[in-house]
Parts: sequence; structure tokens; C-alpha cells
Amino acid sequence: MSEPVLQLHNLSVDYPTRVGVVRGVDNVSMTVNRGEVLGLVGESGCGKSTLGAAIMRLLRPPGKIVGGEIVFNGQDLIKLDKEAMRHLRGAHISMIFQDPMTCLNPLQRVSDHVVETIQTHHPEVKKEEAREQAAKLIDRLGIRAERIDDYPHQLSGGMRQRVMIGLALALNADLIIADEPTTSLDVIVEAQFLDQLRDLQRQFNLTIILITHNIGVVAELADRVAVMYAGKLMELADVFPLFDDPLHPYTRGLLNSVPNINLTEDNLQIMSGSPPDLIDPPPGCKFHPRCPNAMERCKTQEPPFKEVQPGRWAACWLYGE
Amino acid sequence: MPDTSDNLIQVQGLKKWFPVQKGFIERLVTRQRQFVHAVDGVDFNIRRGEVFGLAGESGSGKTTTGRLILHLVEPTEGNIIFDGVDMSTLSNEEIRRMRQRMQVIFQDPFASMNPRMKTGDAIGHSLEIFGVAKGEEKRRRVLEMMEHVELTPAHVLYDKFPHQLSGGQRQRVVIARALMLHPDMIVADEPIAMADVSVRAMLLELMVQLKREFNLTYLFITHDLATAKYICDRIAIMYLGLICEMGTLEQVYRNPQHPYTQALLAAVPVPDPHARRTAPMPKGEIPSPITPPPGCRFHPRCPIAQEICSQESPLLQSVPGDEGHLVACHLVK
Repeated sequence: MSEPVLQLHNLSVDYPTRVGVVRGVDNVSMTVNRGEVLGLVGESGCGKSTLGAAIMRLLRPPGKIVGGEIVFNGQDLIKLDKEAMRHLRGAHISMIFQDPMTCLNPLQRVSDHVVETIQTHHPEVKKEEAREQAAKLIDRLGIRAERIDDYPHQLSGGMRQRVMIGLALALNADLIIADEPTTSLDVIVEAQFLDQLRDLQRQFNLTIILITHNIGVVAELADRVAVMYAGKLMELADVFPLFDDPLHPYTRGLLNSVPNINLTEDNLQIMSGSPPDLIDPPPGCKFHPRCPNAMERCKTQEPPFKEVQPGRWAACWLYGE
Repeated sequence: MPDTSDNLIQVQGLKKWFPVQKGFIERLVTRQRQFVHAVDGVDFNIRRGEVFGLAGESGSGKTTTGRLILHLVEPTEGNIIFDGVDMSTLSNEEIRRMRQRMQVIFQDPFASMNPRMKTGDAIGHSLEIFGVAKGEEKRRRVLEMMEHVELTPAHVLYDKFPHQLSGGQRQRVVIARALMLHPDMIVADEPIAMADVSVRAMLLELMVQLKREFNLTYLFITHDLATAKYICDRIAIMYLGLICEMGTLEQVYRNPQHPYTQALLAAVPVPDPHARRTAPMPKGEIPSPITPPPGCRFHPRCPIAQEICSQESPLLQSVPGDEGHLVACHLVK
């Protein structure tokens, strides 16, 4: 029933710095299945964007993958050479970034962007054909046909972000990694964008990793949710059980500190402390200094990330060995 | 309940138009000057001791309104009356003095701190500028304030530079700095938008607590209606330079009258997958403030617009049977 598109096995990423090595992603294992939206949430510095970049093999130096496997459609991406990886990017795995303005070439028209994407991977496609495909794509995204020859600065923020999805969809990628795709958008435009993303996702059975700090956006769109903290996965579950009954104390704290617009809601709960310095992370469970349920063993032994209930993973000693 | 007749700030018919910069040739060819109608005639009062929210999307004019109140930009038209005094009648020196009573907190604490100034000096700088205290006395007062905003251990953090602090600590420094002169009012422009979720809740709590301790009045400018809910007593929703709805938080959130307010509230993603939004969103995006649409500014996107909406600009009027709740919509009867 569920066919894995991407499997991460014990993936770790290091950033060597002058003062020490920062482990940005620490031993992360998870599976992304075809046709699902996996929400990847956490606070800034938790490693969620690093994880996204690692999957694309687009880590900024000095960041590098120091262990593990990234199995995409049965192939370990870490073993691929640069050239093979280049063919994969854009065609099979695409990325949508936070700020569309910095990702679009200001000197290229919308149509040129799409044509370039298509022709890079399929040089045999003629320019006219590619333009036709571009026009169809633009239409599907709800942008008026005459805007196809506009430059990025002539488009509104929402339209630019739609062009970014268009580029991701141009070659029917198997996996789309969207890193904070709505963070630069105003709330109504964000809602429009989420509606559209959901429609496209259903229509084409897209597989999306949605990286965001916005818990509301995850609740709105995701099928499953992975929660990261200090480079580690803390919890992974279907969206409904995760929100209804979070297992990990960090997930619980995070959800309780999110402002909710419904007036029925009572006060925000405060999680004490702040995320650890990753140059010198605490021993044992990385969350133990802030954890209301911390036990003696949490201070010394790191809990494994494992399936504690059917379909629910957590890294916490509260759920036994 | 704050005394209703006791307004700390009265804003009357406030407008700010910024001239549009054009290229040289264009200036020769076109005579007509163009303006960005950033704030285009707003009226509201802020009562002593309340938290007044100003919310809207980018380009709505909320930040410009805040800057006008602080007198950081001159209004094109209209008056700002602070504690009974019309600001436009004051000399520059008098405005400078007035600033002691009105402080500001910006969104990005890193950008609003001097990277070469130590925490303690940054917080105590205003004491020196206004000749209130210096030397040991300054240090004593700063340390005391640092305790108040929970910048602890204060004597250690006193000598740290901004880059040595965490994001939450930096915003506390900015808050402490704003409070040093014991102002009456704080204009907080997206004060927690940069902070992480867990830090946000802490800063909000701190702001509420300080408001009580120091008897403050806040103008809380935000794009985030969910956050506004936790702090504001009253709120005004702005769209393209105008207020489209205003009232107590309860009135506006429970019973939004303006179609724009309704859309804005519905658009906020709720952290609950059971409550996924089904309401359709208005089409398009906020139009250019250089050539705002005629009539009601929201009419091109409004799902219930009538003919009158494109012709006449609606006035901000009381919602019948709901005292203190104002809306600018032709269709609210």
C-alpha cells in the first residue's frame, strides 16, 4: 500500500567550525511514502533545513554528510557522483525555498525559467514545445497566460511562489522538498498557496516534505509529522494522533506554546530554557535539561528513536527500552 | 477597566503620503506626481493602560501609523494628541523630551542594537542621553531593570555584546532599554515575530507582566492575529492605509463584520488538524497603495461587493447594537 520514495538510514551531518564540530543532523532515520505530505517541524537551528539540503546533496560547505544512507527510489544518493546528482535534481527531486525572489533569476522571464528547466533535463525538446508546456503549467497554477513573459519583479509574492511550484512540477518530480514555502507570504496569500498546494498534491499524488516552523501550516497540510530537536528526530506519527496525543514531552511543550486564534483556548504554556548549543550538547537525551518528565537515566543515556506504538516513533525513555 | 474618557493617544484624520521616486526622464515626461498612500485617514484613540493592537498584512500601513505616533515621520495631514498635547504644535526639542514618555521595540533585536555596545551600556544609554543618571547610579538602575526582564545573571550579561546573547535575550535587552526611562507608552512593532515558538510565549508573558508592573500602555503592531489574541484589549484591522474594523478583541474576533476581517481570521492556520480551513479565500493580493481602488478599497476582492462599494468609500461606523465595535462596510446594517 505505502511505497517508500525516500528512506533515510542513520543520516548524520557535521559542520566543522573553529570552535568545534556541530552535529547539525544526528542519526536520523525515516521513510517518506509516495503521495504523502510529511511535515518536518522544529525551532530554528534544530536541523530541519540542513536535513532538506542534505537530501538534495546541497549542503553549504563546510557542512558534510558524515554517515548514513539516503535511499531514493532504491538508490543511495550519497554514492552518486556530482553529474548523476545533477540529473536527479529538478527532474526527480525538486526544492521550493522560502524566498522566491532570491531563487528566481531577475533577468529571466517566467517562461524562460520553465523552458530552461525542461531543456536542461531534456535537451531534445524544442524551445516552442517547452514554451507550450510552460504555458500549460502556468495556467494550471492560476496565473494569467499573459503573465508568462513577465519578469519576477513584476509578479506579486504569491505568484512568485506559485512559479516556484511550477518549476518543481515541470518535470513531474517524485519528491518535492518545500523549505518554509509560506514564511515570506502574508496570511491570506499563504492560505491561497496552501489551498493550491493541497489541490496539486491530490491531483498529481505528489510526495512532499514540508519543512516549517509553523505548526499551523503542518496541521493544515501534513499527513504525517516529524518533530526535530537539536538535530535529532524526537517524534514521528500521523498528524491526528500527534496533535491529539503527543508522546514526546518536547512535542507536547511545542504544541502547547503555539498561539491559537480560537477564543476558546486558554493561556499559552511556556517551555522553560532554550535549545542547546550544538557545539556542546548535553549528554543523554538532548531535551532533558528542559524536560518536565526527565528521569535519572535521561541525563546520561540517549534514548533510541523507535516505534513505541504501531505507526508512532519516539525517542524517549518514558516509553521503555 | 480603564476609564473610557482617559485617552493617552488620540489620532485624528491621520494621513501619510510618500512621494514616489521616479527616474529623470520620467520626471520630465510626466508632470503628475504620484504618492504611496501609506496611511490614508485613520482615527482611533488609545486609552491609558490598554493594549491596543494594530493588525494587517504587509502594506496595510500599520508600521507607518506606529512611526507617525512616535513622530519618527511627519504626518501629511491629521493630528496626534499625546496626553492632551497636540504633537504638531511642539518644537523639536519638546518632541525629543516627549520621547522619554514614548518608547519603541522593533522586530529585529539584532538590527536595533549597536554590535559594539555592551548590553548594560545599551540598556543604560538613554539615562545618559537624557541626563538622568550615569556611572554607578546608571549601573545600579540597569542591573535592577535586567532583573525585571529576567536577563539573569544580570552582572554577567551586563558586559556581553549582542552577538553573545540568544535571540530571546536580545529582545529582552531591547525591552529593558525601552523601559529605562519609565515611559507611559510603548510602541511594539512586531516585537516577537522573529522569535521561535517557545521563546515567543515567554516574551508575550513578559510583556504582559511588565505592563502591569510599570503601568504601561502598548500599541502592539502585528501581522499575526493569533499572537494578538494573547495580549490585546482592543484591536484595529487595517487594509491599504485605512481601518476597516475596530473594537474589543472579543467583538472583532467573535463577531467580525467586515468581509476582510472575516477572511483574515479564517486564513490563520490553526494548530489543530481537526480544524482544517474550508472557507474559500478572497482572490488576489493587496493592491498597490499608489493607486488604491476607488470606493471601498477591498471591493475588488470582496465576495459580497455591490455596486455602491466601487463608488463610495464607506465610513467607519458603529455596528448597530454593539457599542464600541466599528466597521467600514456599506453592507453592515
